[in-house]
Amino acid sequence: MELVLFTIAAVLSVGGAVGVVTVNNVVHAAVYLLVAMLGVAAVFVLLYAEFLALVQLLIYGGAVTMVILFALMLTRRSAHEEQAEHVRWPIAAGVSGGVFALLATVSLLDVERLNSAERTGISLETLGRTLFEEWAIPFEVASLVLLIAVVGAIVIGRAGRIEDMASPEGAPPRHVRPGTGRGGSR
Amino acid sequence: MENAWLIPLFPLGAFVALALFRRFLPGQGKWLAVAAVIAAFLAAWPVLFDLVGRGVGPYHFPREWFSAGPLFMGWGTLVDPLTVAMLLLVTFVSVLVQVYSLGYMRHEVKGRRGSHVADDPRIGWYYAAHSLFTASMLTLVLADNLILLYVAWELVGLCSYLLIGFWYERPSAVGAAKKAFITTRIGDVGLLIGIALLVAHTGTFDISANLEMVEHGELSSGITTLVALLLFAGAVGKSAQFPLFVWLPDAMEGPTPVSALIHAATMVTAGVFLVARLLPLYEASEAARLTVASVGLLSGLMGASMALAATDLKRILAFSTMSHLGFMFLALGAGGYTAATFHLLTHGVSKAMLFLAAGSVMHALHDETDIRRMGGLARRMPVTGTAFVLGALALSGVPPLAAFWSKDEILVAVANGLNPVFLVGFLIAIVLSALYMARAVRVALFGEHRADAAHAHESGWVMKGPLALLAVCTVLVGLVALPLGFDGVGSFLFDAAHGPHSFKADPVWMPVGIVLALAGLGLGWWLYDRAPGRVEALRSRFGALARLLENRYYLDPAYQWLVDRVVLAAGRVIAAFDRRWVNDVGMDGPGVATLAVGTRLRMHVSGFFADYGLAVAAGAVALALLLWLGA
Amino acid sequence: MTLLHFQLLAAALFSLGLYGVLARRNAVLVLMGVELMLNAVNVNLVAFAAYRDIPIATGQVIAIFIITLAAAEVGLALAVVLRLFRSRGTADVDAIRGMRG
Repeated sequence: MELVLFTIAAVLSVGGAVGVVTVNNVVHAAVYLLVAMLGVAAVFVLLYAEFLALVQLLIYGGAVTMVILFALMLTRRSAHEEQAEHVRWPIAAGVSGGVFALLATVSLLDVERLNSAERTGISLETLGRTLFEEWAIPFEVASLVLLIAVVGAIVIGRAGRIEDMASPEGAPPRHVRPGTGRGGSR
Repeated sequence: MENAWLIPLFPLGAFVALALFRRFLPGQGKWLAVAAVIAAFLAAWPVLFDLVGRGVGPYHFPREWFSAGPLFMGWGTLVDPLTVAMLLLVTFVSVLVQVYSLGYMRHEVKGRRGSHVADDPRIGWYYAAHSLFTASMLTLVLADNLILLYVAWELVGLCSYLLIGFWYERPSAVGAAKKAFITTRIGDVGLLIGIALLVAHTGTFDISANLEMVEHGELSSGITTLVALLLFAGAVGKSAQFPLFVWLPDAMEGPTPVSALIHAATMVTAGVFLVARLLPLYEASEAARLTVASVGLLSGLMGASMALAATDLKRILAFSTMSHLGFMFLALGAGGYTAATFHLLTHGVSKAMLFLAAGSVMHALHDETDIRRMGGLARRMPVTGTAFVLGALALSGVPPLAAFWSKDEILVAVANGLNPVFLVGFLIAIVLSALYMARAVRVALFGEHRADAAHAHESGWVMKGPLALLAVCTVLVGLVALPLGFDGVGSFLFDAAHGPHSFKADPVWMPVGIVLALAGLGLGWWLYDRAPGRVEALRSRFGALARLLENRYYLDPAYQWLVDRVVLAAGRVIAAFDRRWVNDVGMDGPGVATLAVGTRLRMHVSGFFADYGLAVAAGAVALALLLWLGA
Repeated sequence: MTLLHFQLLAAALFSLGLYGVLARRNAVLVLMGVELMLNAVNVNLVAFAAYRDIPIATGQVIAIFIITLAAAEVGLALAVVLRLFRSRGTADVDAIRGMRG
């Protein structure tokens, strides 16, 4: 029974992932990402990590996918769909295939040692204690990282030049004209 | 007595006020400075009376600045008779010098509407530095720990730099100031190392605690000797003893009242004070004691002989100071604490008077200092002349003037405490002292008028007053040696190890001293008054000796050679190493290499996002393989 | 069902994400690849933590941190993409070659 469930979860996540990296339509890719995330959440449940599954659903299924969809809407152009994706697919496929082969080899070689244990769950209480006692300082630091990321995202994402925001009289935002960047300058 | 620490605050406050607000004060605040130093002088008296009332002490009033673990930093005071005597001397001389400066620091200023007499344009700064000088010296004598003492010691050095170089428009003054500062610094390095070494072994900065440990033999004799010698190096620099006296003649570039202050009260006496304060340290080490005595005697003889050859009035006095400080060190080396400290006081009074008189002469002669261009001044400037003659007689050792008594004490101490070699040297030095004083008086003050001396005139009362007061003191101060009403200075100024020391007229040495002094004076007078031809004859016969003296034992060229050939050569080698290896290779090298490598590498950077991703993936795989295979 | 299953699943997810990062040209799609890789790592962490003799919570804790940082990273990265799109008119990572040597 569990194996059936695992198969379903694995098919969901791997299928979603394949969709993410293959389809040309970016909105479709985002939907496939959502599917893959749901699959991973199911895998977490199978590993008795219910809390993590919940977090996965909330953050990836909800927040991250939403944000990506918003970004797609804001950067949407007809050109996106027509773009020739996968220009380097042979190299990319070779490298990622190699990495998969490597990881799989490592797993299969160590299979005897790793197979011995039976999986056990961890109570939510233990998780909470570990997080807030042993990992309290990293936890606080993470909150700081989030704060900085939010501020950074706002600063970077705002219209107008970054230097203008520092000027006291609040200079009107001047949009950077396309092509003013010094790409490829030698 | 507990509040003795307030005394330095008067001049210090004056310094702060003048340094910050002199532009807004009338007369650039010079009256404030004078008032402050007079207040300090008056405040020193209650301390004396308190000390006399309570017994000689010493009294220790520790005050905490901060402490860290076993380390205790304080700003407490140590009051004993030496402290009180120095307090009185320093404040007294400071008062007189500052009052005198009111007159001395007025020059003819050439304005658009002709010349008129006005204050020096930087008079405020002059008085500010003066006040700081006095405050530093007062702190030095009050300090109960070595750190505070060292701070005050360096402040004294700084002030001497500021005041010697006061007329910094003159390159010679700038050079002299730097020379004084750097030369004394050389000694100060020894002082600092000595303090550090002593504290490293005793664990406390407190002077009395340190001395107690030394007296109880808690330090090994090697360390004691080393510390004593290192500390003495500081005293040698500050007190202008051999071989670090080279700054003293040049220091005459400063205003003459400053010279009076430096020579009588504030700077050069610091060295003697230090050794006197730490005398148990020197008593504990025979080698250090003999070194002090030898350096003292050598400096005494060298100073006296150079004074004999010098033609600059102020330099004669400067060499005389060096010589007399040498006597004090000689006395300290002989264990004559009372003799040395008493001579410190009497010499301070007399030398201050001599310098102020010399300043008066210079003022009258438009800064002429060459005694060969003076002459006949005694008739034109009676007060100045009288003061100068009195000072000269006193320092020659003519009774009953002040320095006679102390000099006699030194003679007795040397005769009792040291090898006869020292005694012979000291007797020669006594004759020499009298000789050069007679020469200076005869050539500068008497005889026929010369070039500029014709229109010389006496100075105003602000300058004559201090002179007269000092003259009275020169006559009277020596008498405190005698048991008149109380037991004499020896029952007051003594160190604990030797007990009270009452003055006794030694049947052998007192007459010898008087005879030698008079003989020197007579010889000098005869040579320069009756037989000027003989001087020239002697000069040509002992040409080498005369040149040696005139060139101050060639120590200046020797140091110049040392600096040029050794210090600068070594410096060049080190600089070349620094430039070639440390700078070019060590500092620029990595930068240049990075730049070169970067220039080559950037040809291979495509700017393609995927290339970076590929590189990261490849690196991660390589790292993982390495870890996996390595484990 | 053993740890091996989960490991192979994680390996597959990771490789697919890597392929997405390397092959895709649209910056948003590249970002999705990164998300896939992060999830693969999370699966691995949680699986290893669960298959221990004495279970410890550290694997899950680190997974939580990774999710947190991934959220922050997505926000920031999308802001960068937005900015790039505004100034260059494209989200094509191949068109952005300002870092060319």
